[in-house]
Amino acid sequence: MIELRALSKIYKIAGQEIKAVQKVNLTVDDGEFMSIVGHSGSGKSTLLSLMGCLTRPDMGSVLIDGEDIWSRNDYELSKLRNEKIGFVYQFPSLIPTLTAAENVFLPTVFGKKRSIEDAVKLLELVGLYDKTERYPSELSSGEQQRVAIARAFINSPKFILADEPTGNIDEETESEIMAFFERMNKGENTTIIMATHDVNLLPHATRKFRMKNGILYGIS
Amino acid sequence: MNIAHIALKNLKRNTTRTWLLIAIVSVVSGAIFSAAIFLKSADHAIKSVSDRLGADILVVPENAELKAKAAILSGEPTHFLMDKAILEKAKGIKGVKRVAPQLFIKPAPFTCCYNVDVFLIAFDPETDFTINPWLEKHIRRKIRADEVIAGKNIPVVPGDTILFFGTGFKIAGTMELTGMDFFDRAVFMSMDAAYKMAEDSRTKAKEPIEVKRDKISAVLVQVKDDYSADKVAIMLEHEIKGIKALVSDTVLITVKKQLSRLTKAALAISVILWIIVLLIMALAFFMIVNERTREIGLLKAMGANKAHISAMILLEASMLSGLGSIAGTLLGFVLLANFKGLILHYLKLPYIFPSSLYLVAAMMGSVVTSVFTGLLSALLPSINASKIDPYEAVRRF
Repeated sequence: MIELRALSKIYKIAGQEIKAVQKVNLTVDDGEFMSIVGHSGSGKSTLLSLMGCLTRPDMGSVLIDGEDIWSRNDYELSKLRNEKIGFVYQFPSLIPTLTAAENVFLPTVFGKKRSIEDAVKLLELVGLYDKTERYPSELSSGEQQRVAIARAFINSPKFILADEPTGNIDEETESEIMAFFERMNKGENTTIIMATHDVNLLPHATRKFRMKNGILYGIS
Repeated sequence: MNIAHIALKNLKRNTTRTWLLIAIVSVVSGAIFSAAIFLKSADHAIKSVSDRLGADILVVPENAELKAKAAILSGEPTHFLMDKAILEKAKGIKGVKRVAPQLFIKPAPFTCCYNVDVFLIAFDPETDFTINPWLEKHIRRKIRADEVIAGKNIPVVPGDTILFFGTGFKIAGTMELTGMDFFDRAVFMSMDAAYKMAEDSRTKAKEPIEVKRDKISAVLVQVKDDYSADKVAIMLEHEIKGIKALVSDTVLITVKKQLSRLTKAALAISVILWIIVLLIMALAFFMIVNERTREIGLLKAMGANKAHISAMILLEASMLSGLGSIAGTLLGFVLLANFKGLILHYLKLPYIFPSSLYLVAAMMGSVVTSVFTGLLSALLPSINASKIDPYEAVRRF
């Protein structure tokens, strides 16, 4: 479970204060599929980064399974991200010198030991069973994004934080990715929190929110 | 797969930059390694020659001083003569322990196998104290009239026959390498054999040589323990007209001074080169970290901690410098081995390659130093990389 209590994040750009996230209160139970929709600059990415302990809030707290994550030191936070959280971004950003399988396997280098076969199985699940030895330069952008998604799941995380995961790919791949998310959410009870500007993706989620000017609104 | 695997693969990212950095490290470490081995070889040879020379003073004709020094230092065959009476006069000088005559003959080119000037040195087996110790140790008998001892660089083996001025001589043995041509390209025979060879050359040789039995080229002097060689040399020159007394240590001191100057210069240049490599590698790794800021942010999002990030950068640097150093030391070794003759010709320094064990130790030392340099150069960049804020880095999409 993720709990956000009066969470706020403020940036200072050219002397001006920008309230990226304003007093957000939210509880996400295990196994939920949550969507946050909003325009660019609404604060969705910042909110996801706060949830994933990538950035420290200026006010409020983030609790994962009842524990305030910012009570941990840097080493423990790294361990938490490795074991419990998977990130998916709009751009895949694979390591160009590693194969698809090696890119998927990468998070295990920093924590839990797994076998390369686990990486290969995940690639099969995302439909890339015949491209495990390809390098990113040999894959299309849709295929690269599928590798990045497989990478996010390699350590069997409790939470997936996906920031515009389909923002840069074709419709067919988008459908496949959303189907994969649903399969993992229902089959593995993985909590999916997805930020998107595309309202058409909302039906995939069980809980829907809108973000505007740093404030989170529920959508019924 | 581990961090070392990732670091190794990262070397392939920008192959031009990787090869250039390896080349820089290679050139510098090869140059420093070669200089160190070369200077060690020269030092090794000087020690060997110092032991081999045996005599404290070499008495030669006054006008043959330069020829005599050239003969000792660079093994340039030479021929000069003085009266044998000087031998007895030298024996009577205060402080002289014993004396022995030598005859230097510059023969016609070696008729056997290669075109090189061999240096013929004749000695008196009854009184000599520089060649006899070798004879006692290696062939355990006196040299016969039809025999010679060859220096290491003469391409003969014991039992071979070589011809000088029409007279054939059998090789009784070959000396160990000294690194100095004075010994390594010399052939030693008895004085009686030399005089007879000269006499017979009138009828046997194409180019006869004129050496009368009352002539010698030099007198080797050993000084008593409680006397200084410099003072005895002065007395010799004072008492015997027309001669020059060369103190062995003084002759070698010139070489030692030259070597010392070379060593200091090599050390200064090595330090400068090392600093340059350090700065170039540091700059390269600052650039690499900057290029990979976003990626480092993503790695942190995957769970890489500060130590992981630092380790990746440091491993990459040490692999680069290690590879460069291995290539450089191997190249340095090959160049030294193949261009030894050219170096000797220009620098006129004695030279014996160090033992295999020393060479291996020097190579390993070079690689370790290089890896340390790589680590040092990447230290600040790796610390900077470990401190990258993952959120700020990822926002750079």
